[in-house]
Amino acid sequence: MKDYETVIGLEVHAELNTQSKIYCNCRNAFGLEVNSQVCPVCMGMPGTLPTLNEKVVEYAIRMGHAMHCKINGVCKQDRKNYFYPDLPKAYQISQAEVPLCGKGYLDVMVAGEMRRIGVTRIHIEEDAGKLLHDESFAGSLLDLNRCGVPLIEIVSEPDMRSSAEAKAYLETIKSILQYLNISDCKMQEGSIRCDVNVSVREKGATEFGTRCEMKNVNSFSAAVRGIEYEAKRQIELLEAGGTVEQETRRWDNSKGISIVMRSKEDAQDYRYFPEPDLMTIVVSDEKIQAIKESLPELPNVKLQRYVFDFGLSQMDATLISEDISRSSFFDACVAIGTCKPKSISNWILSDIAKYSNETGKSIPETALTPEHLTALVEQVEKGVISNASAKKVFQIIIEKDQDPLVVIEEKGMKQNSDMEFLEQLAKDVLAQNEKSVSDYRGGKTNALGYLVGQCMKASKGKVNPGIVKEIVTRMLNEG
Amino acid sequence: MKLINKNAAELSEMLQAKQCSAVELTQEVLTQMDAVESQVGAYVTRCEDALEQAKQVDNARVAGEKLHPLAGIPIGIKDNISTRGIRTSCSSRILENYVPPFDATVMKPIRDAKMVILGKMNMDEFAMGSSTETSYFHPTHNPHNLDCVPGGSSGGSAAAIAAGEAILTLGSDTGGSIRQPASLCGVVGLKPTYGSVSRYGLVAFASSLDQIGLLGKSVKDAAMLQSLIQGHDKMDATSSYRTYTNLYENLNGDVKGLRIGVPKEYFGAGVDAQVKDAVWKGIRLLEQNGASVKEISLPSTEYAINTYYIIASAEASSNLARFDGVRYGYRAQSYTDLTDMYEKTRSEGFGDEVKRRIMLGTFVLSSGFYDAYYKKAKLVQRRIGQEFTVAFQDCDVIVTPTAPSAAFRIGENIGDPLKMYYSDVCTVTVNIAGLPAISVPCGKSEMGLPLGMQFVGNAFAEQTILNAAYGYERLVGGFSVMPESICAGGKNA
Amino acid sequence: MKIDIPHIAKLSRLWIEPEKMEKFETDMAAIVDMVEHLPDVDEALTLDAKHPMQLREDVAVEHKFRREEMLANAPEVQSGCLVVPKTVE
Repeated sequence: MKDYETVIGLEVHAELNTQSKIYCNCRNAFGLEVNSQVCPVCMGMPGTLPTLNEKVVEYAIRMGHAMHCKINGVCKQDRKNYFYPDLPKAYQISQAEVPLCGKGYLDVMVAGEMRRIGVTRIHIEEDAGKLLHDESFAGSLLDLNRCGVPLIEIVSEPDMRSSAEAKAYLETIKSILQYLNISDCKMQEGSIRCDVNVSVREKGATEFGTRCEMKNVNSFSAAVRGIEYEAKRQIELLEAGGTVEQETRRWDNSKGISIVMRSKEDAQDYRYFPEPDLMTIVVSDEKIQAIKESLPELPNVKLQRYVFDFGLSQMDATLISEDISRSSFFDACVAIGTCKPKSISNWILSDIAKYSNETGKSIPETALTPEHLTALVEQVEKGVISNASAKKVFQIIIEKDQDPLVVIEEKGMKQNSDMEFLEQLAKDVLAQNEKSVSDYRGGKTNALGYLVGQCMKASKGKVNPGIVKEIVTRMLNEG
Repeated sequence: MKLINKNAAELSEMLQAKQCSAVELTQEVLTQMDAVESQVGAYVTRCEDALEQAKQVDNARVAGEKLHPLAGIPIGIKDNISTRGIRTSCSSRILENYVPPFDATVMKPIRDAKMVILGKMNMDEFAMGSSTETSYFHPTHNPHNLDCVPGGSSGGSAAAIAAGEAILTLGSDTGGSIRQPASLCGVVGLKPTYGSVSRYGLVAFASSLDQIGLLGKSVKDAAMLQSLIQGHDKMDATSSYRTYTNLYENLNGDVKGLRIGVPKEYFGAGVDAQVKDAVWKGIRLLEQNGASVKEISLPSTEYAINTYYIIASAEASSNLARFDGVRYGYRAQSYTDLTDMYEKTRSEGFGDEVKRRIMLGTFVLSSGFYDAYYKKAKLVQRRIGQEFTVAFQDCDVIVTPTAPSAAFRIGENIGDPLKMYYSDVCTVTVNIAGLPAISVPCGKSEMGLPLGMQFVGNAFAEQTILNAAYGYERLVGGFSVMPESICAGGKNA
Repeated sequence: MKIDIPHIAKLSRLWIEPEKMEKFETDMAAIVDMVEHLPDVDEALTLDAKHPMQLREDVAVEHKFRREEMLANAPEVQSGCLVVPKTVE
């Protein structure tokens, strides 16, 4: 078998979390009573006209900046014409020729390395309604609440070469959308959906192979499975001497297969033309710049910093960077500069994560402050208190706004690091355990652990085990 | 003289002076309707509560309420303007039973002014036509000769004025649909600047060309009603945000110093000699009274009809796609699947002319043809606009015939789309350039049918064209709009 | 120019009765022959930035219309939904 390469391009549709719909002032909400959030405009009644929601433009520009796109401050909207019951006007108001955001790119991390994925464009458009199917009923039922929910469509270049890259790209987009607070990103509610373009070619080839577009990909895991299935299908086809036909396929996630929806010959003719009911969108350079300046540091940039500057693993760095409350807490702790980023990362991903899981509280909802956590971690790093003690202090300072140093003092948790005291303690313990001492000296080195443990016990845990171990070892070897 | 022979401006004064009541006026209109409607066919729906509305105006007046000058004036609404609770069919089978749950924006000032809403006016199906023969319900007849068409597509709105079945009417004008029937029925018709009257609620034919306007008996009527309905609407993104002044209060018929441009392309071979003569006679009259006349050229006029049919049909093919039998309107009785339901519904619901335009529009937008047709037409559209801009540097108004001929006979052109399309030859450029224009009666043909003259103005220069037209109206001693036969109650009177 | 009426009708979701096909073909050919007479304008279509669109403030208005009002014109309704022939997703 020849060596093949998979080429993937993605079209991601994300619903924006504006208050009102894109072209009318109906509520943009999910899960309400069928056909309760509709008006003559989004129902496409004769004579109605669209009016563009300003937040949709702003949100799309935010995403455009996040993906380093050229923002087209002067652009228009177009009609995409096709008949389907979920599309009341029988055209979707979208953008064809001039999208709000033009070429850009997105850096994503795959297996610890950065990959740059080209972004072709981001445009604004309206969502369609929902068809409900019921076995017991001969027809289909139509709910139009989702008609006119604002969408951005993010189109990538065919720059991805594996399902892992595609997954990283999708996850990065999702975390950016959350960072920018422009989409709810609720996958189960379909607020992010994607169409996947897949082709294969022999490694080293310069021309792309014939691509297939796969629709109905409703989760990131479905995207991964779909890409792998489709690449395998195409390779098998080529290996068997066949050719890949350009077609649109539908992914069936429950069966794990894709099936042909329509061939190239049946390709729909959408008859795009400029939307005559809307005028030119004009966003001033000042506004575009102001939106850019309002952007927070983005998760993919943070991820890069965490891995390359702080030495976190990609896994840990991802877990922190993808969650805005975690990463801002992490950044604040690191900024204080008194303890290791790695230690903070461990605390965030273990004890804090556990607490959040149990209580359902995110970090800002707890009493914990970056100052308190770093003060606590600093005491551990300096050997002033034990890890076990620190965990007890943590349980207090995450519930109550208390200085961890005061807690340590009050509970008498400080470990003794006084060398004279420690040497005396070690001497006493060695004197009381002659058998272990001779065992050690006779070659049974595991007696060391026992002796250190006895020191800890004698001090009621208030000594630094590392230092005690050093002293005991020295004494044993000296004796 | 009966009340229905008077124009809105006169009736407004009488109502305000309590020389007549809204009930008396409305009753007279309803009586006239009963007498002539069976021959004219101007209406598709009549509001049964017209007298009740009139009674409320009279009560309000007696109670000393401050009323709009148009309060109590009976008005008919073209059937493509959405009226809450009143069927809005666009004279199409596909909307035969459609009752909008909302009012077009233009209805708000009309209802607020307490005008008496009489009903909905017949039209060419979806405003596609120039004769009102494509209405699903029935054709409308020209009150000046019942064997002739009233023009279209606002044929019902024009015929009702000439027949005394309404004092004022609203129409819509996409390529001449107010002005051409105004001309053929001998009434006044104003097509305002694109963007000056909200289109929200006007069932779209060609969104970038459609404009709501009005018809009446005099220029004053037009100025009064236009002042009422114009204005910015935030529901219509193409509506123009600007200050709108009262056109009626500023109406001035002095034509001294008025610079008239006469484009030679509008007096070509396709225009009847008697039309040309009548319009030139009008122009000379204005000149004799102090206007200056200059021959000008608008060279791209020869492409206007073609440009118009490409753009209008393209937009229409998309605008009319929503009529699919799902949310409202007609649905075929039997079908096998979704596509079959769509095709049967639309084929049974639309008439042939509508189908032709939808298919033309689909064709010019379809893959491989867009650049050669639609894009090219948009470029010519821009050029036509530029030519008008240049022309208006040297003149205040442009005067042309409104229609190339007087009213033709019912059935005469219906089988020949090209001939029918040619009816709009003098009016489409105005829509293509988004300008305001008014048609006023200017003499009669040898057959005694009305002829029309069109005043075209620069964008938002409604006052200028109204003043010029008002000047002309005064010079000819006013317009006599209603034919005697109809005044007497029609054939059977 | 001959227009492929069956194809265009299909795209338009129209069905043309066989007995009317010829007339439509003749009329359409004549219309297209007429409208295609346009000059070549060697310019680009540019966007009109001089008339920027006013955008709508993002404020939702609740319960503007009752569902019954919105569905009152529908040919077929069941359980608050519009009914269409079965679609295959």
